[in-house]
Amino acid sequence: MTSPVCTLDLARMRRARIDKLRTAMTAAGIDTLVLCNQANVSYATGARVPASDHVRASWWRAVAVIERTDPSPHLFTEFPEGSPSDLPNDHLHPAIEVEAADGAAELLALLPGGQLAVDDAPFPLWSALRDRDVIDGNAALAPAKLTKTIDELECIRQAQAINERAIRSAQALAQPGAIATDLSGAFLRAIAELGATSNTVDPVFQVMPRSVADGPFSVTGEPVFPLPTRPRELARGDVMWIDTGINLNGYSSDFGATWIVGGEPDEHARLQFAEWRSTVDRVLEATKPGATGADLVRVAAERTGRRPWLSYFYLAHGIGTDSAEMPLIGTDRGNAFDASIVLQPGMVLVFEPVIWDDGRCGHRSEEIVAITEDGYLWLSNRAELNGIGT
Amino acid sequence: MNMTNSPELDYCLSEMGTRGIDALVLGREAHARAVSGADRLWLSGTRAFAPGCVVVRSPPSVHLLANSNEGFEDFPGDHLYPVTWNPAKLRDALRAIPGLAAAKTVGVDGMSPGVHALFAEVVPEAELTDAGPIFAELWRVPSPDKIDAVREAARVAHDGLAAMAAALRDGVRARVLRGVCAERFAALGVTTPAFEAVAAPIDGGASTWLPPERLLGAGENVALRAGALRHGWEASLARTYVVAEPSVEQPAPDGWEEIIELCRAGTRVGHLRDLEAVVYGVGRGVEPYDDELELEAGMVFALELHRGRRLHQDVVHLTVDGAVILTADD
Repeated sequence: MTSPVCTLDLARMRRARIDKLRTAMTAAGIDTLVLCNQANVSYATGARVPASDHVRASWWRAVAVIERTDPSPHLFTEFPEGSPSDLPNDHLHPAIEVEAADGAAELLALLPGGQLAVDDAPFPLWSALRDRDVIDGNAALAPAKLTKTIDELECIRQAQAINERAIRSAQALAQPGAIATDLSGAFLRAIAELGATSNTVDPVFQVMPRSVADGPFSVTGEPVFPLPTRPRELARGDVMWIDTGINLNGYSSDFGATWIVGGEPDEHARLQFAEWRSTVDRVLEATKPGATGADLVRVAAERTGRRPWLSYFYLAHGIGTDSAEMPLIGTDRGNAFDASIVLQPGMVLVFEPVIWDDGRCGHRSEEIVAITEDGYLWLSNRAELNGIGT
Repeated sequence: MNMTNSPELDYCLSEMGTRGIDALVLGREAHARAVSGADRLWLSGTRAFAPGCVVVRSPPSVHLLANSNEGFEDFPGDHLYPVTWNPAKLRDALRAIPGLAAAKTVGVDGMSPGVHALFAEVVPEAELTDAGPIFAELWRVPSPDKIDAVREAARVAHDGLAAMAAALRDGVRARVLRGVCAERFAALGVTTPAFEAVAAPIDGGASTWLPPERLLGAGENVALRAGALRHGWEASLARTYVVAEPSVEQPAPDGWEEIIELCRAGTRVGHLRDLEAVVYGVGRGVEPYDDELELEAGMVFALELHRGRRLHQDVVHLTVDGAVILTADD
């Protein structure tokens, strides 16, 4: 069980976020920031839209326009009920259809002069912006999002708590003879009952092969994860890797665990978990402001000389309004990049190394911490083998 | 290609030829599915544009950003480029795709400053153009496979809504019904929604997409919406119930029959909209219809009417013999 970081105050959170964003815009020389990516719109405005598959989501997307000199963002949305009550009425506008040339032109006509930045755009909008000198909105978004305020941390913690509680419903079904997609169904039912804002990823309840050769085709030669959950019957002794994500108040969560279906973990599973546990514990000892990503990678790898995660993954990733965001530590971007990441209070890290023991399967779990002034605090339960965390 | 091209891929390649487009770089999952049969892990909502799928016209090929072809094994494993966080590796993977670096015109379905910088290193001379119209045209091509797929998704959506209706009782919390629908979908092997199910009190003019979260009470009119995404194809429906024990399905609103009668070849979509109907195509996602579009046999579309205290939505397949409602009760 985790402890509250603060008493959540969403209005305070929104004010702090927009202030950070405007400060970052000033530093990056951006006068007007146009946001089409929905996680970024959520970050800038707190606006909610109904959760849907990507094509529909693109067509009814909300768009935000932030001006450096304006303490409130402008929101263009089909869903005014999803707009926070503290957004001034004259900043709340009907939706603009930026997927279409007409809508793109309409938005362009509204934008003031000065340095414009955009995060992501449907091509018609990108084309319409061609005559403006547009720079990358991430120049402001990335530094703003890299560290979280106490309210943001509390949102992540609460989102994770719902995720972890909902997993209990799935775990109850994880028995020989069960169908894996029924676990997904139990999880999706539970998150709704528990008050999640939405589900963010098709829940992963993936039976892992004992060796890569026994599993599906792998481009990198490593175990492939995550894959869509298939309606596959579970068997005693199956090693299942779990990965679920839910959104609460615009913030993502990330649960990961390894379960043994219908039985106790064998000696190999216990050793693999012990290796995972020891790796993360050693990394956590080094997790404090001033430590670099390279420091954490070195600590993680020092016992065996190898990096205990998959080459296409990482030791840790950030989380916020996106399920995976900066900092990304231990990726294939290389050591210099890891060294450039300096831990600061307010950063959030999801640790998810992978202990793979080809021929004997492996262990994967996830834990989430926030960096504090002198170390870290927990935003997730502590991982346990064949469990839901404590 | 050393696999049999799908009709959709053949259509794309042909359109690329007609429009003088040498390559497509696609970030939309629906587009990647259409040209490759990809079945990658589903994520909710919009995603940042990324080069997730590449189609080259000559020599014709499709390449996908994926670590495996699990679930779509007909797709050649040697046409996959792996997940990477390193822009230089992604650049190299794209450069290695035969015919891409030489492309003079590249169609895309999105863009961002970051990916634009990547393009400058992969196809620096290329003119970028909108890939959207190719797919908009493709979605209009009559396809029995599409009808079959939407029909199956419609069955799932219908079942999910029935489960919601069965759970709709005095004192139930609206969001619980969202979970009931998701659980029923999963029991049918479908774990991805077209949209998260909605239970919306319809009295008082609240949104029927983003309703207030509260307990529902006996006697209230509640609109239920359910939509399933099954193997990448979607269908949805909406019905209105009066909360009771059990809850009572309401007839479609006044004017619905007239609108259904008009679902025949030659009717302008704008005419249906004049009668307050919401109309859009369904398939691999929602397909916007212009007012000027005329209905014709082979089309499959969502039809919705909200009047007074009743909301009703179905998916209609227009056949040569008239409208068939795929989301009707059997």
